[in-house]
Amino acid sequence: MVGDILVNTLINTGVYAMLAVGFSLMFGVARLINLAHTAFYMLAGYSIFFFITRMGLPWLPSVLLSILIVVVVAVVSYKALIDPMRERETTVLILTIALALVLQEVMLILFGGYFRSVPSALSGYSTILGVRVTNQYLLTLGVVAVTLVAVWLLLMRTKLGLAIRATAQDREIANVMGMCDSRTATVTVAIAAALAGVAGAVVAPLYILEPRIWLPPLTIVLAIAVLGGLGSLKGSLLGAVIIALSESLVVFLVPQGSFFKGAFSLGVMILVLLIRPEGLYGVAFEEER
Amino acid sequence: MMVRYHLLRLWREFKGEILVLPGRSILFFGAVTLFLLPLASSHPYLLRVVSLACIFAIFAASWDLLSGFVGQLNLGHALFFGVAAYTSGLLNLHLGWPPLVTIPLGAVAAVLTGLAVGIPCLRLKGPYLSLATLAFPVILMGLILMFTEFTGGELGVPGLDRLAPTRLHEYYVVATCAVVFILLIWKVTDSKLGIIFHAIREDEVAARASGINTPMYKILAFCLSGLFAGLAGGLYAHFMRIAGPSTLSMLTSFQVIIWTIFGGIATVHGAVVGVFILFPAVEVLRVAPEFRMLGYAVLIILVLRFMPEGVAPWVTDRLERECPRCKEHNAFTRRDCRVCGTPLRVPLARGVPVRGEGVGAGGRGGAVAG
Amino acid sequence: MLLEVRNVTVCYDTAMLLNDVSLEVAEGELLALVGPNGAGKTTLLRTIAGLVRWERELRRGTRAGNITVEGEILFDGERIDRLPPHEIAARGLVLCPERRRPFRELSVLDNLRAGAYLVRDRRKVAETLEMVYALFPVLKSRSGQVSGTLSGGEQQMLAIGRALMTQPRLLCIDEPSTGLAPRVCRELFAKIKEIAETGITVLLVEQDVRLAFSLSTRNYILSHSRVVAEGTGEELLKDEKVRRSYLGLAASAGA
Repeated sequence: MVGDILVNTLINTGVYAMLAVGFSLMFGVARLINLAHTAFYMLAGYSIFFFITRMGLPWLPSVLLSILIVVVVAVVSYKALIDPMRERETTVLILTIALALVLQEVMLILFGGYFRSVPSALSGYSTILGVRVTNQYLLTLGVVAVTLVAVWLLLMRTKLGLAIRATAQDREIANVMGMCDSRTATVTVAIAAALAGVAGAVVAPLYILEPRIWLPPLTIVLAIAVLGGLGSLKGSLLGAVIIALSESLVVFLVPQGSFFKGAFSLGVMILVLLIRPEGLYGVAFEEER
Repeated sequence: MMVRYHLLRLWREFKGEILVLPGRSILFFGAVTLFLLPLASSHPYLLRVVSLACIFAIFAASWDLLSGFVGQLNLGHALFFGVAAYTSGLLNLHLGWPPLVTIPLGAVAAVLTGLAVGIPCLRLKGPYLSLATLAFPVILMGLILMFTEFTGGELGVPGLDRLAPTRLHEYYVVATCAVVFILLIWKVTDSKLGIIFHAIREDEVAARASGINTPMYKILAFCLSGLFAGLAGGLYAHFMRIAGPSTLSMLTSFQVIIWTIFGGIATVHGAVVGVFILFPAVEVLRVAPEFRMLGYAVLIILVLRFMPEGVAPWVTDRLERECPRCKEHNAFTRRDCRVCGTPLRVPLARGVPVRGEGVGAGGRGGAVAG
Repeated sequence: MLLEVRNVTVCYDTAMLLNDVSLEVAEGELLALVGPNGAGKTTLLRTIAGLVRWERELRRGTRAGNITVEGEILFDGERIDRLPPHEIAARGLVLCPERRRPFRELSVLDNLRAGAYLVRDRRKVAETLEMVYALFPVLKSRSGQVSGTLSGGEQQMLAIGRALMTQPRLLCIDEPSTGLAPRVCRELFAKIKEIAETGITVLLVEQDVRLAFSLSTRNYILSHSRVVAEGTGEELLKDEKVRRSYLGLAASAGA
C-alpha cells in the first residue's frame, strides 16, 4: 500500500510539476493566467489517441506530432486572441476560458463523449524495491524527469532562458537590452504548451480520456501555482510535491476521498495564502505605474 | 389640479433624466418591455427564460459591484449564490418557512459568507485574491458532496415551495425584484460609497493614504455583493424548486463573469445587457445541441476580440459623446453639451499644457515583479 | 550628429510631458541634460529609447491608453522614433534607466550576460565582460550575488555595466546620483568620464548640476517640458537669469 501511494505520488508530482511550471512561466513572463492550459493537455491526449488508434502510427511519432499540434494551436491562439488584449487582464481571462470551452467542444464533436483510452507504449511489469510497477509508469516517470531537467537546462544555461528570466523580472528593461518582450512571451507560451503536451502524451495511457478531463487538473494546477508563488519555478516544483503528496494521502486514507481531491488542494492553497499572501516563493506584488 | 402639476413634473423629469440619453432610453424601454411581455405572449418557455434572465441579471450586477467597481476580481461568486440557495432550500424544506422568509434569510447567510470570505482576502492582492476566491465555492461543494445525508449530495434539496401560485405571478415577482435590486445596486455605485469604491479600485494605497478605511470598505463590498447575489440565489432556488450543487459550480461562477464582461464590466447596465443577450442565446442554440457550447464560446471570443470593453460600452460610445470639459454624457445628435454648453464636435486642441509637471509620468511602464 | 531629436511632443492624456523638444548629440560628446524635477528629462530619455511608444502600443484602447508621441528622432541619420525598443538597442542606443532597474532575482553575472543578449560573437562578449570588470572591480567580486541585494552604488555600477555589454554607441544614463552618498557619486562619475573617453557618446540626465557640468562638454536645460537653454557649463553658469531660474544657484560672485 505504501508502495502504491509512493508511485502514485511520484507520477502525480511529475505531471503536476510539468503543468505548473508551464503555467507559472506564462504568468511570470507574459502576466497571463491561462485557464486553457490544461485544455491543451487534454488536446495532446486526444491527439495521441487519434494518431495511435485511428492512424495506426507507432508511439513515438504520435507523441511528437501531438506535441507539435498543441504548440501550434497554442501559439496561434495566443497571437491572434490574447496578445492583442494583453493589458486587459479580465478580458484575457474570459478569452482563455472560452478557448478551453472551444477545445472541449471540438473534442466532443470529433471524438464523442465516450470515455476513450489510449494503449500503453510499454507493457508488462517490473519490480522495484519490492513494489510491482507497470512499465508504462516507469516510462512516464522517466520522460517527466528528463523533460524537467531539460527545462531547467534551457532556463539556466541558454540565451533564450536568460531572456525568459530577465523578461519575467522586468519586462520593460528587457526590451531596452534587446530582448523583444512580445517574442519572448510567444516562445514562453510555446514552451508551456509543449510541457502540457508532454504531460498529456505520457499520462494519456494511464487515465481515461473524455472531453471534460481538463477541469479537475485546472483547479489543482491553479492551487499549486498560487501556493508556490505565481511566476516562481521553485515554488511550482515545491507546490507540486506538496499537493501531490497530500492528494495521495487524502485519496488513500479518507473514505470517499477522491471526490474531495480538488477541494482539498484548494484548501491547502488557502491555508498557505493565509500565512504568506504571495505564496511560498512569490515576490511581493509591486504596484505597476 | 395638483395631479396635473405632479404629472407634468414627472414628465419633465422623465424627459430630462432618461430620454435625454439614448443609452438610458434603451434601458428604460427595455424595462417597460419586460413588464409588458406577458401581454404579448404567454408562452411558458419564453416566460421561464426571461424570468431566469432576471434572476441572473441580479446575480451578474452583484458581481459587477464587487469585481468591476471595487476591483476585487471574484472568480468564485457562485459561493454567495449557492449558500443562499441552500439556506433558503433547507429552511423551506425542513422548517416549512415560506419563500418570503427564506429568501431574505438566505441573503443574510450570503452576507455572513461575505464576511467570512472577505476578511481572509484582505491581505491578498491581484491574481492571489482572484484565485483564492475561486477556491471557496469548490471547497464548499466538496463538503456538500461529502455529507450527503444532510445536503442531498448530488441531487440537492428538492421539493421547494413556489414563489407564487402561477407562472405569470412568478414572472412579475422576479421581474420586479430584478428592477428594484438592480436599481439599488446602481444607486450604490452612483453614491458617495460608489466614489469610495472607485477610489479603492484605482489606487488602494492612495485611498488608504487619504484616510479611507480600505479594509472596512472592502469587506462592505463583499457583504453588499453577497447580499444581492444571495437574493438572486434564494429566488433561483424557489423558482427552480430545487437547490443543487450546480449553484456552487465553477461554471456558475464563470458564467456570471462571462456575462458581465461581455456586456461591459464596471457598468451595472453592462451586466444586465450581457445576461439578456447571452442567456437567451444559449437557450436558442438548443436547436443545434452539438454546436451549442461551441457556438457560445466562439461568440464570446469574437465579441471580445472586437468589442473588448463589452457590448454596452461599444454601443454607448457610438450613441453618446462625452463632454470634454464636464465629462457628462450627451446624445450624439447634440452639438453642445447639455450641462456646460461647450461644443462637442471640435477636436480638443491636443494636450492643453498642464504644467507638464510629469503628472502622467507616473505612467511609465511597469516593472514586473515576476 | 549621432542623435537628433526634432520637435518631439509627448502627451499622457491631457498632460503634456514634452513640448516641442529638440536637441542634438554629436558623436563623442558627453551631453548633460539638467533641470528641475518633473521637467520631462526622464520622459525624454524614455522616448528616445522607444519605451513611450512601446507603452502606447501596450495600453492602446484601455483607460490609460491615451498617449501621443510626435516628432522625429534620428540616430546616425536613421529615423528611430517608430522603432520598438529592442531594435533601437540593436542599433547601439542603450538606456541606463532611472532607479537602476537591475533584474533583481538574477545574479550580477546574469545581469551582465542579459545585457550582452544581442552580441553574437562570444569572444567579444568575454572581452567586454573583462572590460566591465576592470572598470568596476566590485562587480567581479560579487559576480554570483543576487543583484537585488547589492547596495545602491553597486546597483548603479551594475546598471551601467549591463548597458556597456550591449556595445553601445550612445549610452543614456538617467540620474545615476539618486540616493547615493557624495563619495560614491564622485567615484561613479569618474568612471562615467572614463567610459566617455573610450569614445562612447554619453547622454547624461542629472539632478546635481555641478557634478553634471564638471563632466559634460555641452548641456541642455529642460524645464516645464521645454528646452529653455543650451550651452557649455561655463556659458550657462555665467548667465544670471539661467543661474537663478533654472539652476537654483544663488547669484555668483564670479563663475
